[in-house]
Amino acid sequence: MSFLRIRNLYKAFERVVAVNRIDLEIKQGEFFTFLGSSGCGKTTTLRMIGGLEKPEGGEIYLGDRCLVSAEQKIFVKPEKRDMGMVFQSYALWPHMTVFENVAYPLKLRSASRSEIRAKVEEVLGLVGLSGLEDRPAPALSGGQQQRVALARALVFSPKVLLLDEPLSNLDAQLREEMRRELKSLQRRVNVTVIFVTHDQIEALSLSDRIAIMKFGVLEQVATPEEVYYKPSTPFVRDFLGKTFLLPGKVAGISDQQVQVEVHGVGASALTLDRQNVISSGNGFPKIGQSAMIAIRPEKIFLSDRTDAGHSNVVEGKLQATQFLGDRYEYTVTLGTETRVIVSPEARQLKRGGKVFLELKPEGMTLWPRES
Amino acid sequence: MAKTETLKATLPARAWLPPLDSGMLTMAALIGFMGFYVLYPLVLILINSFNTATIAEPPVYGLKAWREAFSEPGIWRSLWNSVRIGIVLQVIALPLGIFLSWLISRTNVLFADAFEFGFWISFFLPPLATTFGWMLMLDPSTGLINSWLRQLTGSSALNFDIYSFAGIIWVHLVSHGISTKVMLLTPAFRRMDASMEEASRMSGAGPLTTLIRITVPAMTPVIIVVFLLSVIRIFSSFEIELLLGVPWSFYVYSTKIVDLARQEPPLVNQAAALGSVILLFLAAFIPLQRRLIARRQFTTVTGQFKPKIIDLGPWRYPATALVALVIFLLDVVPVLSVLGGSFMTRFGFFNLPKTWTLDYWKMALNDPRILQGLHNTLIVAVSAALFGVLFFSLVGYVLVRTKLPGRGILDSICWLPSAIPGVLAGLGLLWMFLGTPFFRPFYGTIVLLVIASVLGGITLSTQILKANFVQLGKELEEASRMSGAGFWKTYFKVVLPLMAQTMVMVGVLKFMFASHHTSSIILLATSETRTLSLLALDQVAAGYREVASITVIFIMALTVGVAIISRSFGLKVGIRAE
Repeated sequence: MSFLRIRNLYKAFERVVAVNRIDLEIKQGEFFTFLGSSGCGKTTTLRMIGGLEKPEGGEIYLGDRCLVSAEQKIFVKPEKRDMGMVFQSYALWPHMTVFENVAYPLKLRSASRSEIRAKVEEVLGLVGLSGLEDRPAPALSGGQQQRVALARALVFSPKVLLLDEPLSNLDAQLREEMRRELKSLQRRVNVTVIFVTHDQIEALSLSDRIAIMKFGVLEQVATPEEVYYKPSTPFVRDFLGKTFLLPGKVAGISDQQVQVEVHGVGASALTLDRQNVISSGNGFPKIGQSAMIAIRPEKIFLSDRTDAGHSNVVEGKLQATQFLGDRYEYTVTLGTETRVIVSPEARQLKRGGKVFLELKPEGMTLWPRES
Repeated sequence: MAKTETLKATLPARAWLPPLDSGMLTMAALIGFMGFYVLYPLVLILINSFNTATIAEPPVYGLKAWREAFSEPGIWRSLWNSVRIGIVLQVIALPLGIFLSWLISRTNVLFADAFEFGFWISFFLPPLATTFGWMLMLDPSTGLINSWLRQLTGSSALNFDIYSFAGIIWVHLVSHGISTKVMLLTPAFRRMDASMEEASRMSGAGPLTTLIRITVPAMTPVIIVVFLLSVIRIFSSFEIELLLGVPWSFYVYSTKIVDLARQEPPLVNQAAALGSVILLFLAAFIPLQRRLIARRQFTTVTGQFKPKIIDLGPWRYPATALVALVIFLLDVVPVLSVLGGSFMTRFGFFNLPKTWTLDYWKMALNDPRILQGLHNTLIVAVSAALFGVLFFSLVGYVLVRTKLPGRGILDSICWLPSAIPGVLAGLGLLWMFLGTPFFRPFYGTIVLLVIASVLGGITLSTQILKANFVQLGKELEEASRMSGAGFWKTYFKVVLPLMAQTMVMVGVLKFMFASHHTSSIILLATSETRTLSLLALDQVAAGYREVASITVIFIMALTVGVAIISRSFGLKVGIRAE
């Protein structure tokens, strides 16, 4: 059963629509991420879940409890929602020590002194900050402040933990470290996490499911692997990672497979699985229709000659080779596009020469030609 | 290799105002001049408190003035009265100011911008005007409100006498007591990271708990600064106590000094002794204030999200009504009553056969004293604006842009006048001009008033100018230097034009303050050189209320009027909390 349900949620600022009638269900214990570029409505959605923004339409339910419903004129205030939140700026209160910051939610719930002490110590231990209780909050480093904010959001065992780009103010190395810790912390505490980020690596590595947002609309909601390899819209495909796009024409269709003729890459036809066809709903694909094959560079195998027996081989041109220690980066032009293909092995390839690219069928997706 | 490194390191410091000696010369001249201007009169006060001869006589040193001053209980009482007013006023005004600025900056109270403008207007309403306006309302026998109350209740039991301690506190509150705090605190509240409040809401606290436990404590540094700015001015307040206290022989520090200096024969030495006490207090207090201001602020990282406004829910309308009421008391009541006063045959008497009249206006516009006062006011205010801007922009520039030694001293001198009560500065200048043979010919001329008025706004002017010089990209000036222009050429051709708007703003501010300040010039003016504000004080004291309201209207036009006009030309006259 779903834990948090969002129905037809709508919010506009002035005349700009920030969140445009989204529907969503989030499961208990799930690490759920809203991913999108700035202004896509992800933070607004998060803040509506937390009660910091009032939606103009739609409903949000936590279990059986209605948190907000524009139609029924229900609005549960943020302080009554029992959700923890970590802000982008951490929002630690500068006039309090670490202990006081973390103890604040418990004091408001009139916990006893001993209970507060025990809980705060436990949660500070959990985030690895034991011993810093008496420091004033502003005297901590960025990473430590972040942990305090996390501890403060977790200390009262909230039903949901809301994270608003919590890693974006950290430097690259620290961010990676915190990312790992966040994930292991979530597993240990087993709290439902709703996470907002514009960083695809954070989203892919942390999430159970990702919702990719654009202009206030959910483009796709799926597991990280799915959104990456089976994007359902061109936006998702181009937003995550890199792709080669090969224009062509549908040449044949069978029960299992589709053949596509591609132009100017030295191959007659490419074959891909039928299940990798992104349906556009109106009978696609039909023989003779214009189409587009998309493939991730990491699903391309690079070779200096064509071996018989390999299908789906196309020709490209090698622009440059770079040795990066643990890997080689080959810059390859395929059709009209130039991308980097990474390979752990050195190959005898000439710069400016022809290379043969084997496209793995499971990495290819077929799209209707975009006008 | 190492050598070139050190050469490079020393270069930027020296490259800015070379040649070094001319820079040093500029600095020495600035410190010398400012020191003479600001410090010398104060030193004279201190010295002359030990002088038993009067001004312009050969000095005879002794402790007589101190002994006499402090054996008279009235002096102690006046000091205590200043402190008492200060304490009661701050206890009421500070929480109220915090609450009101929170309402208009952080909540969804209606018309927040208009209300902020209302506080801004109140800030520019001269205390003289507010006091006079409320006198017309709350005079025990003729005050409009008191008459209404008598009619309503049929008795005088509810009469509120404005000539009382409570009356003085009340007028302080509706004059600058609240509006200064709101003006200083509102921008600071706005800049505060809203997610600190949101984090509190998410932790389970309601809006009020959040205000008390998070917002106000997190704002403490700014609140302390605002509080200190008010505290240091306890001894400066003058007009309100002059108009409302002196009639029943209630003296505060500043009115007592004026009283002593104006007695026949003048007890200037006693006044100096009384002045010195406060100088010693300030000597201890100013460094403390500067330290606290310098160490201000917890760092509040601002998130990208625009500040979210707190929904007051059902309290939205009561809160709006509350702020509207405050604005009504601060702006509307004094302005309307002064206007009414000038057009009514007898103020507050609506049932006279001829209620409204233009006679007073006709009289006033033909009254040579009012025209003379207007003339004097314009001379003083315009000169204060011009000299102030030219001179203090140079001071501000030198403080921000050069690395010359002695900047700390210069900066401290600039801070001092904000804390010196106007009366004291006037007393010091009086001594300087009467006691120094070279200056004596200037005594009795309007030059003295100009000099005192320029001094008045040093702190504010230099702080505003400094802040703007800091914002002005240094590269623009460096480009001019690289193109071959020298320091002065760059200053006049690049810096001044770029700073034009700020300069005009500072000039307007100085103009407004100079046209309503009385405390610093009251001891220096004669009947020929007195300004409109001094004239108004005299008229009120003599009981010519209707004519006084016209003078006050002129003053309001010169202050609030100028403020509104300049604001409509895009000059945002704002004062920063830090």
